[in-house]
Amino acid sequence: MDNDANGAKRPYEKPEIKQVALRPEEAVLGACKATSGGGSGPGSGNCRTPSPCSGLGS
Amino acid sequence: MHLRVGGFTIRVAWSGTKPRGLHLAPSPAAAPFLVDPQPPGVIPDVVIGVDLDAAPDDGARECLFDSGGPWRLYRHDEGFLFRFFASTFGARPYKTARFAPDFSRGHITLHPDFFAGAVAVDPLEYPLDELLVIALLGQGRGLEMHGCGVADRHGRASLFVGQSGAGKSTMARLWTAEPGAVILSDDRIVIRRHGEEVWMYGTPWHGEAPLASPSRARLDALFLLRHGRRNELHDVGGAAASARLFAASFPPFHDRRALAFTLEFLEWVASRVPCRELSFVPEAAVLALVRSSGPV
Repeated sequence: MDNDANGAKRPYEKPEIKQVALRPEEAVLGACKATSGGGSGPGSGNCRTPSPCSGLGS
Repeated sequence: MHLRVGGFTIRVAWSGTKPRGLHLAPSPAAAPFLVDPQPPGVIPDVVIGVDLDAAPDDGARECLFDSGGPWRLYRHDEGFLFRFFASTFGARPYKTARFAPDFSRGHITLHPDFFAGAVAVDPLEYPLDELLVIALLGQGRGLEMHGCGVADRHGRASLFVGQSGAGKSTMARLWTAEPGAVILSDDRIVIRRHGEEVWMYGTPWHGEAPLASPSRARLDALFLLRHGRRNELHDVGGAAASARLFAASFPPFHDRRALAFTLEFLEWVASRVPCRELSFVPEAAVLALVRSSGPV
């Protein structure tokens, strides 16, 4: 792990923290997907189910 | 009805007496994912019964996760229970779905007040279908990605990953003009391990394009999408690739074991499949850049 392909010890590199942005509402399906045009959301097409959508997400 | 999504076969049928004038039908986007019933003796991955019931007591125990939107997850004596809410219906759930701990069996209860006058209903309608597949994948079986999956006419399959606004639907539309290209989805792709290969599956949960296919393909390349001022590729590897893939994935956040698996799985995926950041402008020239990119 600490050696390169030639067996020499690699120089120390200080660990670096990089932040990755999460989008909680998207990640947990907290918003409805597009419902128009035969979309996959409730209330679409011929399924006359109630639409819980108050906002859209994709 | 039987659906096959992400390699899982899901059987949904009325339990008990079928309500008069109301039949089960998939949502338009899920219709291509309908499959024939499996032969006798072959058990689907998930078997779900459906009924109409006001369900004054659905057996919910403590709340395990609140999406902040249309669904909440609760512990249940039989395993787990989802409640689904609509802003127009207030605090009462319009649908509940309880599942065994391994999600192999389930039961959906539709609130009759909310389905009065309906002629067709898809009990699995979003977001339940997606939550179910996410739960199944979290049991060491794969992961759903926020991405656009494409297999070109040469059989080379690429997954373009990114959060909303990154350019997934734009990329999908560019590929639709390519002869022989198959777009598995412009928004949601399931990835699973088959031996030492990563395979991707189309899903019904399309984006703006809207494109959804029940096909699957062996994954050859991963691209982290971003809109740019010119078309550029940069290699991304190791922890950086895993972290950025995680940020564009849909693991079951309430499940500690599933999250641990997800991180291990993404590390493995990033070690098997070349991963690059792709900055692009919405023009066909970017497809040539993608096609010309070889292994890292």
